[in-house]
Amino acid sequence: MWSYALKRAGATAITLVAASVIIFAFIHLIPGDPIYVRLGDTATPDQVEAVRHTLGLDQPILVQYFQWVGAVLHGDLGHSIFYDEPILSVIADHAETSVLLATITMIWVLLIGVPVGMIAATRHGSWLDQGLSGLAMLMASVPTFWVGLYMILIFAAWLGWLPSSGFPSLFDRGGIANLRYLLLPSLTLAAPNAALILRLTRASMLDVSREDHVRTARAKGIRPWRVVTHHIFRNALLAVVSAFGFTFAALISEAVVTETVFALPGIGRLVVQSILQRDYPVIQGVVLVIVVLYLVVNFLVDVSYRFLDPRVELQ
Amino acid sequence: MAAEFEGRVKMHFLLRVLRRSLVALAAALLLTANANAAGGTFRYASVSEPAPLDVMLTTAGVSLVIGMHIFEALYTIDSHYQPQPMLAEGETVQDGGKTIVITLRQGVHFHNGKEMTSDDVVASLQRWAKYGVRGKLLFVEGSSVEASGKYEITIKLPQPNGAWKNLLAHLEGGPAIYPSEIASKATDQPIAQSDYIGTGPYMFKEWRPNRDIEIVRFDGYNARTNPGDGYSGKRVANFDSIQFIPVPDVGTRVSGIQAGDYDYAETISGDLYDQLSADSSVKVVKAGAPLFGLFFTNSKAGILKDNFKLRRAIEMAFCRNDALRVSFGPQALWNAQGSIFPPGNFWYSTAGTDKYNECDPAGAKALAKEAGYDGTPIRLLTSTNYQTHYDQATVFVKEMADAGINVQMIVVDWATLLKMRGQPDQWDMFITHHGGPPDPILLTFLNEGYPGWWATPEITALRAEFTGTADLTQRKAVWDKIQELYYEQVPAIKVGDAYSFDIMSPKVQNLVSPLFWPVFFNASFN
Repeated sequence: MWSYALKRAGATAITLVAASVIIFAFIHLIPGDPIYVRLGDTATPDQVEAVRHTLGLDQPILVQYFQWVGAVLHGDLGHSIFYDEPILSVIADHAETSVLLATITMIWVLLIGVPVGMIAATRHGSWLDQGLSGLAMLMASVPTFWVGLYMILIFAAWLGWLPSSGFPSLFDRGGIANLRYLLLPSLTLAAPNAALILRLTRASMLDVSREDHVRTARAKGIRPWRVVTHHIFRNALLAVVSAFGFTFAALISEAVVTETVFALPGIGRLVVQSILQRDYPVIQGVVLVIVVLYLVVNFLVDVSYRFLDPRVELQ
Repeated sequence: MAAEFEGRVKMHFLLRVLRRSLVALAAALLLTANANAAGGTFRYASVSEPAPLDVMLTTAGVSLVIGMHIFEALYTIDSHYQPQPMLAEGETVQDGGKTIVITLRQGVHFHNGKEMTSDDVVASLQRWAKYGVRGKLLFVEGSSVEASGKYEITIKLPQPNGAWKNLLAHLEGGPAIYPSEIASKATDQPIAQSDYIGTGPYMFKEWRPNRDIEIVRFDGYNARTNPGDGYSGKRVANFDSIQFIPVPDVGTRVSGIQAGDYDYAETISGDLYDQLSADSSVKVVKAGAPLFGLFFTNSKAGILKDNFKLRRAIEMAFCRNDALRVSFGPQALWNAQGSIFPPGNFWYSTAGTDKYNECDPAGAKALAKEAGYDGTPIRLLTSTNYQTHYDQATVFVKEMADAGINVQMIVVDWATLLKMRGQPDQWDMFITHHGGPPDPILLTFLNEGYPGWWATPEITALRAEFTGTADLTQRKAVWDKIQELYYEQVPAIKVGDAYSFDIMSPKVQNLVSPLFWPVFFNASFN
């Protein structure tokens, strides 16, 4: 286990170095200029060059890269050109929303996708299975911005039950009750992801249910529901857990459409906004953090295999 | 009997408690209602996160909307777009317009409690002159500003500048007055958030990225006593605080107003105008001044460099009604008219406008041929960040094709466009938009350093004549000549006047009609 962890740490370091080069090169190679964006439409070339010099953006790209890497190794991701704040602080501000949104969404996905997938698998071929599978296809294919806008229209504008958008921090006035701001966006995000998990649970369980050990369990007279939960579902869980891990990571970094529709201060929106403004330090910092997040989730998913299936060897 | 008596006493007691509770509740509700009318938090849904609020250095709209509440300048604009004193008390112009002595209002305090004096004004104007977006339009080489008393400053110019008061009144990239200790150490970098200290009726409290920016009432505000008129006159902060919340999706901004989550939402799509005008749950607020799209032509390089005949052929082929209808929707939101300034404005002029919106592809084709056009692609830079730019560019390309003019659209994001348009060899035309400024000198196509680089001998001479006099009648006559020349040399092609619209909750009252940007001093909840 420990040697496995060490090997993974080494591979992770190489991945991070490669990622840092790619991130830095891509963002500096695309055209566009943060200074023009910040100074506005009427800035003169002299003003632009003066600010470029102040920010160190007139230095050779390699010098800029090594300065950035050096600072990162000292725990300093840099300073936002637009927010006038350290990147870590900007990321922390936005991470609260993204982590809470992803967590609540995953709870919906877990509560809807897994049980309904189990029901569809156990009633394989029935009208119920057909209906649930059709519903899953519908949920997966309707665009999230459309679902989100209708959610807002129905539950905020017409019924007035929930706030339409925004998210005050849990540390603001309202405290834990502010989670109500995340109900509509989390349900919007959960729809396609629950459909994915539903289909995956169903397919994995159907695969496992055809295996010999399941037939043996049934022949031994074990109760049908116990066969489903202990012999089929547990063995089908590996694929579902993999999908869970990556869905969670993706929800943190890629929920930009939902964050935009619901005006949430999340990581996805921060990235897109920073790209449009060419806020290089923020883009570099956020993408680096996302890469680390994916690596950690990947590692945790791999380790969890060992606990879910003792036959799996971590080498 | 005793039990019955005891029961009656209990009932009497309960009724008394209930009655008192109801009275207390009613009183509390009344107080709350009154408190809401007088104060409360006003929530503004903006399109995006603003640029830093250092208004000297930015022309970004959202920053200006917020900055107008925090910062003030020596002058401001009234409802007729004329400059009126704000922090200034009055002025005398001497030496044929080369010396301007401005007396300041006394008893004006900054948000940090310090009284504003000439030291603060001088430091602010010096910083603006050096680094401000529009500072060099007034403070050319050889200009100076100095304190000539505790409440008096003197500006000296090498040549008279007829636009001086308008330049000192326009806060967009303009001369906001900061405390001297902040202005004197400020550079070309935006000042820190902790230095957002002005003299306005609201003061900066907090900026939480992508959540909100909050400003709160400044209790030490010393308002002017003359009645409010446009941005000028008495300013009263009725709200306890104002939150500016970035809500990028237009559907969410509309639903947010309908749900009561926001009180004001900016920049709503034209296609929702008719529907929302008939909706009693919102009030439509139409912009007072139009924006207009401009297709700039490149005077430094490329096929259009000095081929005015070809430029005029392009102008002739362009049907504005189609472009405006596609990009803005209902006709109530646009007006295809050729004067750079809209009807009713002092600078409105019909000079040269017979060449506007001719919509004559056959005539254009003949003129292009006469200009020696051989079908070489004309590179048009446009961006998808502004949907109206893209829509107008699409119509433009099609209409040019009908006239045999080959326009090649280069679609990039706004940040890329800003960079590319600074390189003359990269483009022949680009599209942007312009708001109506208080003085023609602020028009970007009159700035020879602005991409497009219109600097022919004719415009250079007229520009000097225009700024060389303070006499409004003379300046207007020169402006007519400039507009005439604009239609002859076509440094840019005006699409047409477009009136953006916002929406607000019906409970908002006494809103100052938006001149350039909406402002919320004097407004309150009913």
